[in-house]
Formats: sequence, structure tokens, C-alpha cells
Amino acid sequence: MSHDSHHAPVACKTELAPERSDLGLYRPDRATGWTDWLTTVDHKKIGILYGAFAMLYFLIGGVEALAIRTQLARPDNDFVTARMYNQLFTMHGTTMIFLGVMPLSAAFFNFLVPLQVGARDVAFPRLNAFSLWTFVFGAFVLNASWLFEFGHLAGWFDSFAWHKALVYTDFAPANGWFSYAPLSGTFGANGQALRFTGVGTDFWIIGIQVLGIASLAASFNFICTIINMRAKGMTMMRLPVFTWMALVTSVLIILAFPAITVALIELMFDRAFGANFFNPSAGGQPVLWQHLFWIFGHPEVYILVLPAMGIVSEVLPTFSGKSLFGYPIIVFSGAVIGFLGFAVWSHHMFTTGLGPVPTAAFSLLTMAIAVPTGVKIFNWLGTIWGGRIRFTPPMVLALGFIWMFMCGGFSGVMHSSAPADSQQQDSYFVIAHFHYVLLGGVLLGLMAGLYFWFPKIFGRMPNAPVAYLGSALVILGFNLAFGPMHYLGLAGQPRRTHTYHAGNGWETWNYVATIGAYILGIGVVIVFGNLVWTAFRGKKCGSDPWDGRTLEWSLPSPVPEYNFAQAPVVATRDAFFEHKHGAKKIGLENDGGEAGVHMPSQSWMPMVASAGFLFIGFGMPMMAMGIPHAGWLVISGLGVLFLGIWLWALEGPGGYMLKTPAPSGAPAPAETVAH
Amino acid sequence: MFSRILSRVGLLAALSLAFIMAGCSKEEMTVRQSTLDPKGPVAQVQFDVFMDTVWLVVVLFALVGGMLVYAVIKFRSRPGDEDKPVIVEDGHGNPLIEIGLITASIGALVIIAIPTLSAIWYTDDVPAAAVPTSKLSAWYPRVEGTRENYAQTVEEQVLEVDVIGKQWWFRFEYPQLGMTNDAKHSVPNELVIPKGKAVRINLRSEDVIHSFWVPKIAGKVDLMPGRKNHMWIQADQTGHYYGQCAEFCGDSHAYMLFRVEVLEPADFAKWVQKQKADAAPVAAGSAAEKGKALFAAKSCVMCHNVGGHFGAGAFGPDLTHVASRKSLAGAWLDNRDVAKQRALEQSTGNTENSVPVDEAKLKANLIKWIGSSGVAHGADGKLSKDVKPGNRMHYYKMFNVAGLRETNQQFTAEELDHLAEYLLTLK
Repeated sequence: MSHDSHHAPVACKTELAPERSDLGLYRPDRATGWTDWLTTVDHKKIGILYGAFAMLYFLIGGVEALAIRTQLARPDNDFVTARMYNQLFTMHGTTMIFLGVMPLSAAFFNFLVPLQVGARDVAFPRLNAFSLWTFVFGAFVLNASWLFEFGHLAGWFDSFAWHKALVYTDFAPANGWFSYAPLSGTFGANGQALRFTGVGTDFWIIGIQVLGIASLAASFNFICTIINMRAKGMTMMRLPVFTWMALVTSVLIILAFPAITVALIELMFDRAFGANFFNPSAGGQPVLWQHLFWIFGHPEVYILVLPAMGIVSEVLPTFSGKSLFGYPIIVFSGAVIGFLGFAVWSHHMFTTGLGPVPTAAFSLLTMAIAVPTGVKIFNWLGTIWGGRIRFTPPMVLALGFIWMFMCGGFSGVMHSSAPADSQQQDSYFVIAHFHYVLLGGVLLGLMAGLYFWFPKIFGRMPNAPVAYLGSALVILGFNLAFGPMHYLGLAGQPRRTHTYHAGNGWETWNYVATIGAYILGIGVVIVFGNLVWTAFRGKKCGSDPWDGRTLEWSLPSPVPEYNFAQAPVVATRDAFFEHKHGAKKIGLENDGGEAGVHMPSQSWMPMVASAGFLFIGFGMPMMAMGIPHAGWLVISGLGVLFLGIWLWALEGPGGYMLKTPAPSGAPAPAETVAH
Repeated sequence: MFSRILSRVGLLAALSLAFIMAGCSKEEMTVRQSTLDPKGPVAQVQFDVFMDTVWLVVVLFALVGGMLVYAVIKFRSRPGDEDKPVIVEDGHGNPLIEIGLITASIGALVIIAIPTLSAIWYTDDVPAAAVPTSKLSAWYPRVEGTRENYAQTVEEQVLEVDVIGKQWWFRFEYPQLGMTNDAKHSVPNELVIPKGKAVRINLRSEDVIHSFWVPKIAGKVDLMPGRKNHMWIQADQTGHYYGQCAEFCGDSHAYMLFRVEVLEPADFAKWVQKQKADAAPVAAGSAAEKGKALFAAKSCVMCHNVGGHFGAGAFGPDLTHVASRKSLAGAWLDNRDVAKQRALEQSTGNTENSVPVDEAKLKANLIKWIGSSGVAHGADGKLSKDVKPGNRMHYYKMFNVAGLRETNQQFTAEELDHLAEYLLTLK
């Protein structure tokens, strides 16, 4: 195929009509409505979809959390059963980590990375859509376990033979978010594959596996985008810090997820085919699961927190009116955190009997990771020092992030000492610690990001008083809910216990924590509700309402679908701020742009391919349930997956041209141009 | 306006701090499972290291937090700032400050690293210094009839206890003293140790991962199936201690509690003697005798050992002395008068003091526990509420052996009463 014919569809496209691919398949270019959202390859729309789904799952995970707190409000309570409680905390943790924080970070990566590096899209737009839909279907599979659980509780399955034959009737996962084997695995002699739990675990295994594929695909995409698609002059040390953290996070995902992938496959083999990786009675090693899980699980913590750190590193300079203090060392400490993150996993396992030497080594390494983390806090402090702090909702949330994250970091230093940790591990002290890091830290950071970039995303400004009210309730409720848990843990209350007797001295503070949780819930609803309202009805605002520093603020709001009409040429860090106030202006690359902007064609194929995971995700647990012929569902899922990828490969590059806007002033309305 | 808000926030923070400090009453620090009230050297060392980290963190928090508050107030934008020139600088940071702060952080961490390292080795195994006073020959009295398995080689060892975790209870064995499950002399759920003596604990699991945690005596170590873990403990004050499984282990994890009874060494020896004695014969024609027959007829005997009466059971808890224990069903059901116990704890300010077993409460607990298999005495014919969901007495289907509930084992109220009467004789 010659170069010319390869690009034929681009040149031939002459009107606003659906495109046909090389195979004659329909490509819904410039479609509107549902079709547009389902087939979009635009990183901004994909980012918005990621964000919308993440907020939905935050809501679901939040309801699960409130059910947990309601149950624990009083001793000997029976608001939910023991099993339901175990399912609630398992799904709460899994949902918040994999379906809440990670996709919300992915939403920011998607929306911002191409804008911050001066690119028109990510490196592989269709792969990006594939990541999104794979995440959506994986999340659905995981939560479908609830549907089966409620069906079971309602008695829908009682008359089926397969249901009567089940030994365990838990349909939603109930092992905790780290699903320790052998509770999640098998026991009994070689090949017997007797289990401790029901098909909820199978839903969990396949759900996490699918979500891992989504994360991996997205990470490759971001790494390629950041390395290869930077604007001229945007050297690595001129990258905005958020993009740097996106890069580090993506590398972490690529290095960490293979470990969990292997662990999940082994666990699946144990359960489905009687392998003995983790079965102690047949010579397997349960501790192997813990090593594999945590060598993923600890970097995962940094996968969750680094994007929020990146956001805060953008928000603080903007509202301090000062460039980021210690840019190189902030970037370097982010990378060091990522690197050291792989060297501390066994601090989750101090009580498993590692022996004194490994325990000491992991203790010291864990203390060491406090240094680059502290460096970040010092540099944020240095950033606001000597600045002119403007208080806005994102700034207040970012300052809240520093406080809460600092508290979480300090209790983390306490855990790093293994002898102290032996009293704290698996107690409410740990719950307090990681909620200070992940909720007080990460969620506040992400909220700061939402309020910061929402005017860019939708061209509308969130209502500030409502934002302050919501933020105040979040911070108040959060501290009321999780502050007392430090005490409860030190008073000996273990985590993951669905009830406790009166008389242990835990009654008062559990009650207080529950009140705090409800206040927090109200606050989160206000903060998110304000955003949803803003997206549709908010007050319109200009393209640069905060006096922004990075390239995205140089674009109109909302951002046109091609981002940059002409590629920018960057001469410094904080390029747009320097452009406005300093001597170093942003140049425009002359790409001889008379032909217009080359836009990628939209496609159904990423979603079709990911839909295969939906079939597989339902089929595997249904096989474990013993539903007849469920195996065909898995096989057809594989078929759909391969068909989707095959058609995707063959549908050709596609693409169409948009007219270049006027070189100066506001960009002209985009039009399709004839050739 | 903003400084006003800030000062209010500061006031609120100060008030809540005062509130928290006020909450730090002695009573709250010494609750049953408090880690802040160590009663033995292991817990003490762990507590000391913890307090080292607390003081370090408090100082850092005051320094960094104070700087942050100062910066936010001092450098807030003021009216008129708009007229000042924008701060445009390409300088990014100050290497001297950066290196200074990194060095200071490392120095701060060394402060806690040193006690951490020494405590890791100290808590790992019985320290050599403790052996001379803790070895069996130093304190375990030579009482005739209690030392048949007490070999010469054991004389120089400290007391060892095997802790076996199961869903959802603990079994304790004393192999040096001939008290093992194989020898039909194991102790469920209530570990008994001598005061002031180091005890080596061997941790084993028969199913999933559990964790052994008595906060006032020692931090936790996991019971890993297929792996031999160990720890050591010592309690320096007699009394009744509260422990709990700390690793999620399935449906009834929250119900997997246990107790530790710390006795004077001389009392410990008497206790061993008593444990190894068989159950007394039941009186002919009594309710207990009918209960004994039911114990065999209702298949209790398949899993439970009763020394001198039934010797087949090895899977479930040994019931030879069930009526002497202060708790039942994985220590979830308390056999004492709870109100009296609370009153005693409050009047003495010490949760280690314990009232004796209340026979009526014990009997009610036995009936509740056994009867939760779904008894016929409910008027509506409904199954009674599970005391411990998924427990192996009632649910055992996973081994293709059915539990009481799965086989719909029925007990009349009278039968339950007889069974309880029988078990009450097992002191």
C-alpha cells in the first residue's frame, strides 16, 4: 500500500457524513448524541466519561461505607449480617481504589496530559477508548456480584439445581480488598480444590483482572504521549509537575500490575482447576499471595497518591502567584517515591513471621520513604512562602490535602516501626492512617483538581460558597469519622469485625465516628453535586479564570476538539504564565496548516472489543456457580474480544480534516473542509 | 475577613484538641484490649517504641504544621496586592534549604530507627536473660503425676504453648506438659500462663490465616497455615486478659475472641493437674445422665472430647472442663454476670479483675449456643438466630460432612436442658 492510498480516506472526506472504513464499516465521525459519546476517541470526552463513572462509583462506595458505619454505631448491632458486612467492606475498599480514585486520576490524565504537553490527543486514541470501556465493563462485572447476591437473598435462584448444589452461597466478594489466600483460595488434598468462599471471590478475581487490563493499556498510552508528543521546547524538565506525576504513575502501573495479574491467574487456577499455588495442605504457600499482592499493592498506594500530589503541585503555585519551589527536587522525589514504593511491600506483612532481618530491612526502607514524601511537603510550604495566597475552593482543598496527608504520613511513620506496628496492624489505627492518606489526602487533592480544572473542562465556574460549605463539611466530617479511629485502634479494636461487645470501651468513639461519616457523606454529596450542577447550569467563565501557569489555560474553554490549532513552541517552565507576564513568549509552530487539522476517525471497535470482557466476566463466575453451559459465555466473550480487535486493526486509519482557525485571536468555528 | 475565619478555625482546632486531651482519661487508656496499658515486657517494649514515634511526630507536626499555618496567614493576599508586580522567577528552589531539610529528616528517622531495631530482636524470641528464671526447672513444682511427659531435656526450656487457629476459635496445647489434642488434653479459647515467666508461643493454623493478639501482653503475630511462626509473651500481673483474632478469617471473624488467664506459678501447676484429670462420673438418674446419653446420640461425641466419658472427638473444642471456663463459643458468649463484671472493673479500675463463672448464665449460654442449630422449641417453628454464622458445629458442608443445621438436627427444649445440665457437671 503506497503512502498516498494509505491516507486516502482523509483526503477524500468532503462532507459531514459518516465515514466508511477500508472494510466498508461505518465510522461515526462527528456523530452527535449517544453515538458520539460511545464511539469517541477524543481524550477530553474520554476523560469526562472516566470522571463521570468515577463519581458514580464514589457514590456507591460511599453508600457501602455508610452502611458499614451504621452497623458499627452501636455494640452488638444487627443492621446487617456478618456476611453482608464482610461483603460491604470488601466492595467498599475495592470500589474506592479501583473504581473511584484510579479512574478519577485517569480522568485527569486523559483530559490534561495532552493539553499540558501541547498535543492534539494522546498517542493512541482508540486504545484510549478501549481503556475506558474495559474499565467500565470490569467495574460492572465486579458490581454485578451484588445483583447476584441480592437475587440470592430474594430467593430468585432457590429452585435451580445448581443453586441447591452450592456449598457456599456468598455471591459478592467477602475477602477484603487484598483477598488473602487461603481464605480466598482452596484447601484439601491435591486436586480437591475445596474452597472457603463462594463465587463472590471469582467475581472479584475476574473483575480486578479486567480492570488491570484497562489500567495497563491506559498507562502505555500516557507514557507514549508524554515521551513522544511534547511540544517543541517542552523538555522533560519543563513538563508541568502534574504531567510528571502522570508519567511516574503510569510507569508504576506498568511495573506493579503484572504482579497482581500473576497472582490473580494463580488464584484463578487454584479455584477453577485445582492448582496448588496457595493451598497449604497440598504444599502451596499462602504467604506467596501476600508477597505478590503487596508488591503490587504498595506501589498501588503511590499510584493513588502521586496524581493528587501532582494536582496540588499545580494548584499551589497558581494561587500563591509564585512558581513551584524546588521543581527539580519535587519531580525527583516523585520518582524516588515511585522507586522506593517497590521496596517496602513487606511492611504490610510485619506480623506474618518474616524473621527479624527482613522485618528490620523493611522497617528501615519504610522510614526512608518518608524522606522524599517530606521533601514534597517542605517544597509545597516553600511554594506558598513569600507568595500572595488567593483563597479559592481549589486552594482551600489543596491546603486541606497537605494537612490531612501530613497527618496520614505521620501515622505512617508510626507504622514503619515494626514493633509498634505489631500492635497497630489490622486495627482501627491502620484504618485511620490510610483514610487520612487516601481520603483526607487523595480525595481532597482530586477535589481540588476538579474545582481547579472544571472551568477549563466545561467553561463554567463552580459556585464558590457552596464549594466552601461542602469542603468544610468534608474536612469536619472526615476528621470526626477517622480521628477517633486512631484511639479505637490503640484501644484494641480490630478491623474487619462486623460487631463488638459493649464493655470494651469502644462504644463512644464508634458512635462519634459514625456521626462524622454521615457529615462527610453530606459534604461529598454537596461537593460533587455542585460540580454536576456546574457542568450543566454553572456560570460561564473566561478561558483563564485563575491566572493559570501551564499550556491548557492558553486554550479557550471548553477546549476545542483539536486542542491546539497550531502546535505551541515552549521556552520555559510555567510557559503560559511567562507568556502573559514575562519575557519568554509561547511561539507557534508553522506546520503549513492550510490543509487544516487532521482529526482521527471515531470507532465502535474499542467498545466492541472490551465488551468481550463483559461476557468473560460474567461467564467465569457463572461457571463457578455451576450454571450449565456458562462456559460458552466465556468462549463467546473471547470471540467478541478477538473480533473487536481484528476489525479494529482492519478498519484503517480513517481521519478527517478540520479547517484551521484564524492564526490570531479566537479560533474560528471548526468546519469540515473540502479537498 | 479570611483572617477572622482562620482565627475561628484555630480556636476550633484548639478546642477539639482540648476535647481530645480531656478524653484521655485513665479509664480510656486501660480498656480491656488497650495497647496503651502494657502488662508484660513485650507489650512494654512495643509501647515504648510507639511512644518514641509519637513524640517525634508531635514535634514534627508542631514544626511543619506551625510553619504552614504561619505561611498561610502571613502570605495571604491583601487588598492592594493587585497593583504590585507579578512574581515572575525562573529560579526554582534553594539547594541549601533542600539539602538541610533532607538531612534533618534522615536524622529524625534515625532517632526512631535505633529503638525499632533493638525491639525487633528483643520481641522475636525469648531473650537469653529471661531463661534462667523462666526455664521450667526454675519454677515448675515437682508434683507427682504431672510430669510423665516432662522429659529431662525440657527442664532447661521455657514453657511452650502451641496455639492452633481454626475457623473460629483457638486451641491451646502444652506439649512439654503432655497436654495436647492427641493426648486428649487441649485447652480451647482460654490460654493459661504463669505470672512473670517467659512463655514461647508456637503459632499454627489448621485452615486460613488467623492472628494471635492480646494487646496488653504482646502485639500480634499471624498463624499461617503451612508455616511455623513463633513469638514470646510474658505477663507480670495476674488476672484475666482479653485477646482477639486480628486477621480477617471469614464469616465469623468478629466472633473469634479468646482470653488469657495469668496465674501465680504455683496455681498454674495446680491448674495443669486439674486439666489432666478426667471428668467426674454423672449421678445416676439425673438430668445430667440423660444429657450424657444425648451427647452421644446427637453426634456431639464425633467432634468433642470429654475425658473419662467420650474419647472419639478431636475436631471441636475439648469439653472436659467446659463448665470451668469464663467464656463459650470462641469467647463470644461471656459466662459471667456482665453487670457485676463491669461494676468490678469500674470500682477497681482494672479490667484484669474478674468475677467468677455464673452458673445460670453459663447454662443459658450453652442452650443458646447449641440451640442455634435451629431448634424445635420456637413456637413459630423458625430457625433460631445464628450465634456464630458459618460455625463448624452447625455448618460443615464443605467437607461433605453435614453440620447440625444442615442435617436439620432437632433439639427439644427439654433435650437442650439435659445437654446443658450434663455440660455443667464438666468442671
